[in-house]
Amino acid sequence: MALVMDIAVVALRMLLPLYTIVIVYQCFASMRRKRRSERSLVLLQDTETGVKTPVLFWENSIGRSRGSDIAVDDPAVSRDHCVLLRRKEGWFIADTGSKTGTFVNGSRVRRRTQVKIDDIISIGNREYALKRGDEFHEELKSSWFFSKVSNKPAMKSYKLMILITLFHIFMGVEACFCNGAESFKEYWFSPVFDPLYICGALVAVEWIYFAISSFALKRVSFEIESLCLFLTGIGVMLLVRQDMRSALVQLIAASVGMVVFCALIKFIENPDRIGKWRLIIMIAAVGLLAINLVFGKVTNGSANWIQLGPITIQPSEFVKIAYIFVGASTLDRLQTKQNLIEFIIFSMVCVGALALMGDFGTALIFFMSFLIISFVRSGDFKTLILALTGAGAAAIIVLRFKAYVLDRFKAWRHVWQHTQDAGGYQQARTLTYIASGGLFGVGIGNGCLKYVAASESDLVFGLMSEEMGFIVAVTIAIAVASLFLYARSVTTRARSTFYSISACCAAGMLVIQMSLNIFGATDILPLTGVTFPFISAGGSSIISCWGLLAFIKAADEKTYSLKVKQK
Amino acid sequence: MKRTLQRSWLIFILVIAFLVGMAFLVVETVLGASDWVDQPYNGHIAGAGGLLEAGVISDRNENVLAQTVDNKRVYNDDADVRKALLHVVGDDSLNISTAIQSQFRSQLTGYSFIWGLNLPDSFRGGKDVDLTVDADTCKTAYNALKEYDSGACVIYNYETGEIICDVSTKTYDPADPPEITKDNEDEYEGVYLDNVLSSTYTPGSIFKIVTAAAAIENIPDIWDRTWTCNGKEEIDGGDVTCVEAHGTMNLKEAFGHSCNIVFAELAVELGEDVMTETAEKMGINASFKISGIKTKAGNYDVSKATTHQLAWSGVGQYEDKVNPMQMAILCGAIARKGTPVIPYLVEGTSGSMLKDMGLAGSASNGEKMLDSGTAKKLKELMRFAVQNDYGDDMFGGLTVCAKTGTGETLISEGSDKNDGWMVGFAADKDVPLAFACVVRGTSDYGYSTAGQVAKAAMIQAAESLRNQDDD
Repeated sequence: MALVMDIAVVALRMLLPLYTIVIVYQCFASMRRKRRSERSLVLLQDTETGVKTPVLFWENSIGRSRGSDIAVDDPAVSRDHCVLLRRKEGWFIADTGSKTGTFVNGSRVRRRTQVKIDDIISIGNREYALKRGDEFHEELKSSWFFSKVSNKPAMKSYKLMILITLFHIFMGVEACFCNGAESFKEYWFSPVFDPLYICGALVAVEWIYFAISSFALKRVSFEIESLCLFLTGIGVMLLVRQDMRSALVQLIAASVGMVVFCALIKFIENPDRIGKWRLIIMIAAVGLLAINLVFGKVTNGSANWIQLGPITIQPSEFVKIAYIFVGASTLDRLQTKQNLIEFIIFSMVCVGALALMGDFGTALIFFMSFLIISFVRSGDFKTLILALTGAGAAAIIVLRFKAYVLDRFKAWRHVWQHTQDAGGYQQARTLTYIASGGLFGVGIGNGCLKYVAASESDLVFGLMSEEMGFIVAVTIAIAVASLFLYARSVTTRARSTFYSISACCAAGMLVIQMSLNIFGATDILPLTGVTFPFISAGGSSIISCWGLLAFIKAADEKTYSLKVKQK
Repeated sequence: MKRTLQRSWLIFILVIAFLVGMAFLVVETVLGASDWVDQPYNGHIAGAGGLLEAGVISDRNENVLAQTVDNKRVYNDDADVRKALLHVVGDDSLNISTAIQSQFRSQLTGYSFIWGLNLPDSFRGGKDVDLTVDADTCKTAYNALKEYDSGACVIYNYETGEIICDVSTKTYDPADPPEITKDNEDEYEGVYLDNVLSSTYTPGSIFKIVTAAAAIENIPDIWDRTWTCNGKEEIDGGDVTCVEAHGTMNLKEAFGHSCNIVFAELAVELGEDVMTETAEKMGINASFKISGIKTKAGNYDVSKATTHQLAWSGVGQYEDKVNPMQMAILCGAIARKGTPVIPYLVEGTSGSMLKDMGLAGSASNGEKMLDSGTAKKLKELMRFAVQNDYGDDMFGGLTVCAKTGTGETLISEGSDKNDGWMVGFAADKDVPLAFACVVRGTSDYGYSTAGQVAKAAMIQAAESLRNQDDD
């Protein structure tokens, strides 16, 4: 009998990684599907030669520069001459400081001006007529990510949701039978089945959210949300055998995060409106950091918490969202306001404030995000190198005058000599328990890493690896990293460069944060104490992750397109 | 938009950096996991120093040396056996890093990379480790060794490689480990070191084996020569002394009498290069892997020596150092016409992983240390030394070839405490045993100290081996 039980346990443990891989694969497979085929939205026909130029994007730069979306080979045309963009109301053209000017039907345009089909646009010595896209008949190539997609429809969203729900229920049941669970039986109100209550609540949240998304908001796609619900659920279920209360808190915070997610998508629906809010958001973010600096609570060496009655929040997590708002911008603004001064100052304030708090991990995330945004905006290597040099110099100065900062990292790559002191205590245990878990894990609730401080947040990769196995942990990590692939693949289909930039940056932030988390806990990088996106326990963290996800979701034109048709 | 897409390659670099990091982590995990598991704090193998789940360690006759009974690690019933094999078996702590309970911890606890530590018991497979040692021989050696401050005794079968005896002192009882504090740390100095594997000593006269080998191989008329010893001779402005004036003798007699003057002169005549080359070839500066555990390398380095110092290096003084296990291997090589079998300690681990197959239970030849002709001649010299100087009945009828030595150690300068040595082998076909014994802190010569340990241990080892054959 015992042998039969053991065989069952081993078989189930081996199934778990396979199941994880199937779910993650399905999430990404669905993302590739249901995409409108590559075609010209409108086209520009040269009135002299009759040559038709397809207009592929929602925002198109027109100029002499070869990198322009529509390159015009004419010496009278400026490098970045104007921007042709699509909005809900139709097509517009905006001059972006050209020397010779842009004309619609003979009159010069300065601000954004609407153009209608058959209107004549004059740029330099050229004249173009705006025509409907279906007049363009040539084949257009898709990017590799979307080419060769079979015609078979992707897995239906609800089926994917059932798979995910079953996975979480499986985790709940496994937690019920964890080692030592028998000893709980002496209680009248058996806590053996506690994990199932949380699991039930989790499943309820998942399906309510799914229902709202598909019926109330009428969204056509649900794949990114599926993936992140899957990750969030794993995070919650990892907590049930550690601390029931924090599992519940995590679930509630995740629900708040989903609301934030929907609200943010609504808020950024109109990319032109965001420009007006930029300054307010910037001031609010700096204010938050200032409050944090003044009233910050010191935990684990960094003062990045503030206490509000019964809840503690980590303002820096919310500033991440603000940061992307400030950094991203629409194409016509991008071309007229090339300078980054405002953004650079804002970045320096953020990174400086975080460094003052001693939260080097988050400071690093901001700095890296700064590099990404400034490069994606300007394409300027000089800015990149300048920023890196500046940061290097700043780091040297800090280490010179505050040598104790270095002490925090002294155990790096030497954790086995520091297993009993603060320098390597956590990392050594993370590695030991990753190894103890093997490829298939010891089962939910059977781990030992859960007794180590911060195992549910900073060391959660180790906890996941120990209890669910190394394969699952690595698969989850790769799934989060693949969000970037997705963000990048929707870049050119976004309704504005605002979405493209913000989606890439949000995905970049998540990848950087996850890398710091995994590699910090496993002693490949110094331990900086940042969270694993969606999995780590921490209310502020999970809300901000869902907030960042909103940018990726918004970049996909499917998110809004259907609603427009229904109006 | 196109430009935004192009520039987002920067983030691709980040993702690639992440993937490289993950690959690095996977490689580190594959290589390091079994070490990472073996931590005293590991909750999955908690209790009894992490050995709660560990299997049985037994000797060649299936005597249990250590096992877990009722959640407690229990060692052999005999206190002397426990103390004798402390450094081989280990105790609840990980202090003795070369012990089986440290080195083979993951096998003992049933760890595997794929399953980690939580495979249900029905699948975990055996976790026992069988050793080649003979508990009786070790006990005998220990009882002889405990008279001295510290020491080591190793005996191995030079044909099969099995280590029969591996005893190191100082020692303590693993069933009742001492608490080592500032007050008693002198008493337990070096107690965690297995002197057989991890210590080196000044060789003294046993190094004459190396000098003799160099002479046999490089001086054509060596067998026709004679020397005269007056008890003292000046070489390069300093004296080389002997305990007595040995008179006129040939090489065989010089080896038997262990005449310092002859071998000092030989070392000078052979010169730095030849001496170094021979010492290298005979493995003096090498480290050997014994069931995966590395021995401490000896030292023969005369690159900065004066001629006077070179002379002393030829008789095992100056900065010469050797390790007991390495001397046993060297003796095994002489017995086996120049090519040693590398000894091993672990006969097998039940249900062991593929990874361990290279480590356990197989004899492997080491590199050739001597020409077979030289080996034969050395064997004659060592045989003559026993017959002529120690008495052939010393080893109870065994055909032993051996050499004693007394290393003057720096730490005992000002006192008359030395390192006494005896190394050699039995030429008998049925008990092919090579040995090396060393005791520290003795005022007597190697013959009367280490010799007595070697004698007791060898007689017992031969008896155990012969009894086993009878069974």
